Amino acid sequence: MPDLRSPIRIIARRDAREALRDRFLLVAISALSLAALVSLVTGAIALKGDAATYAAARATLLALGKDAAAIAAPEFWPLKLLRGTLEQIEIMGAVIALIAGYRAAVAERGRQTLALILTRPVRHWQFLAAKLAGGLMLSAMTLAVVFALTALVLNGISGVPLTLSDLGRLVLTWAAGTLYLTGIYTLGFALALWLRSSVSGLVYAFALWLVVVLVAPQIGDTMDPDNQVAGGVFASLQIPKAEQDRIKAGFAGYETFRNGIEVASVTKHFERLTFALLGIKDSYTGKPLSVIWADKKGDALFLLLFTAALGGLVLMRRINPDQLTQET
Amino acid sequence: MTPASIVAAQSLAALLRERTVLLIAGIFTAMVLVSAWMGWSATATVNGIYADAVIYLQSIGQPVPANPLGQTSALGVLRNLTVYVSLIGTFAAIVTGQRLIEADRRAGVLPLIAARPPARMTYVAGKMQALALATAALVTLAAVISGLTLVLLPAIAVTAGEWLRLGGFFLLSWAYVTLFGMVALGAAARIPATAGGLLAATILWLAVTFVLPALTGNVNPTAAINPISALVATPETPVFTILGTVLGPVSLSEAYAYLAAGLMGYLPAGLVPRGVVPPFLSLIVLVAAALVFALRSGLALDPNAGGPDA
Repeated sequence: MPDLRSPIRIIARRDAREALRDRFLLVAISALSLAALVSLVTGAIALKGDAATYAAARATLLALGKDAAAIAAPEFWPLKLLRGTLEQIEIMGAVIALIAGYRAAVAERGRQTLALILTRPVRHWQFLAAKLAGGLMLSAMTLAVVFALTALVLNGISGVPLTLSDLGRLVLTWAAGTLYLTGIYTLGFALALWLRSSVSGLVYAFALWLVVVLVAPQIGDTMDPDNQVAGGVFASLQIPKAEQDRIKAGFAGYETFRNGIEVASVTKHFERLTFALLGIKDSYTGKPLSVIWADKKGDALFLLLFTAALGGLVLMRRINPDQLTQET
Repeated sequence: MTPASIVAAQSLAALLRERTVLLIAGIFTAMVLVSAWMGWSATATVNGIYADAVIYLQSIGQPVPANPLGQTSALGVLRNLTVYVSLIGTFAAIVTGQRLIEADRRAGVLPLIAARPPARMTYVAGKMQALALATAALVTLAAVISGLTLVLLPAIAVTAGEWLRLGGFFLLSWAYVTLFGMVALGAAARIPATAGGLLAATILWLAVTFVLPALTGNVNPTAAINPISALVATPETPVFTILGTVLGPVSLSEAYAYLAAGLMGYLPAGLVPRGVVPPFLSLIVLVAAALVFALRSGLALDPNAGGPDA
């Protein structure tokens, strides 16, 4: 009986070799690492500035003989500094994944090699599975380097060594990021493969990226009443938490609509899950993973289903060789 | 009609048949349509929250602060437009700029055009004209929709001065999106690979929108997608002061957000722009640079590179 996995291995290995040879992997890793590190370092500098401002204000209060407890000290949780890094993965990482997916399709279409491959004893799903496996590996490797680098830099700039629990949370975030980027890669690959013109596929993929990654979260974010005022509307009015909840209850319909738009985006599910895992969202800071899992398993499931469903669609749809031989 | 106008007219006619361009333009138009409602709805919600908070504060005998929204301009309800212009409008211009050159290259007509009498300058000027007209049409459509929604939304009264400033905002937006379109046109002329120009211009746009602001002080990348969060003061640290001074003049998306907020009347009081160069001057210089880049790239275009079989 022939080994059905063998063609998958051969095609995936060839793709990996090509990604290494034409330096796409290197460029992808460098670009995302650079963006992630810029966000990490600038976040750390901003926090340092906050700490200096607090220290100066505290010294002034003490010199005046007043109680320093009147001003809140800035909190320091090293993993919170990764907020910008995660946002760069959401946005820039998604673009890199789309381009990688487009390239995986174009690598065969542009050179007319796909039609040739399909004349060989290779099943359609094997070819497609090899390409998806390549995307999974690319996402996993790129994010592994990004998270390893950011963890190292975080250790250095925070002066607080990351604990085993911190590292475990980073590994879970890496896994969530790999799922997210693989899903986006699959989208770029599918559109570049299915459409008559692969460039049109890329433009459609970018249009979807705009809607899913930027516009849907933007609508939710920008309609949040607390985002209409710098610092938050309730904070500026100094309303206690219990009263905030009572007032918010009066706008439940608006909030449901706003949240509904947000949760239509896979990016928001990735963000909610990872912000909770790393304690970036204040209500999850320092909370055990069991509590976070209980609250966020829905986001994890959405992420998994999004990627699995896209992958399933790609595997199930047969390639039409007649459409692929001519780039129009 | 001048020869350049003939090239422009033919290019615009071809663009109208490009489904990808029409799709992005359609998304942009749809978002313009809902942006006024979103701004109005969010403003009404904050005002409702404030009214509830006033009742609560009065009941416990606390002083009542002023409404923190403090929105005095009716145009503030259109604040989301700045985000949609800088995200979708710009991308529509990039796709248009790239298609204007790439469509000819893929059709294999560039060698034919190069063999005909019209000078290369005529071809490039025609393409640039077509791009400027296409982006003008997109922005004009957005302006008409915004104007209509402002008229139709309840409890919004726009003064003559505000209509003028709205006009200024759309002129600014046209310059901003056209700049990126010109970069894409120039990049497509220089890079014969199928999607080379599109990718180069998109990467530049991403860096300008999400990475540069992080360096100049707007730390979180997603601040770029919120018209209020995008307008924060530079953190008071020497690093951001230096980076803001050095990179501020080229941080285009921040310059656009600052100028747009000023025109629409929601710029926070006392907020200073990044760097020492006024944002308006930065924008003018960079638009001129983009025009020169597109022109020089078009003149340097190799008609025999790339093509339908490449």
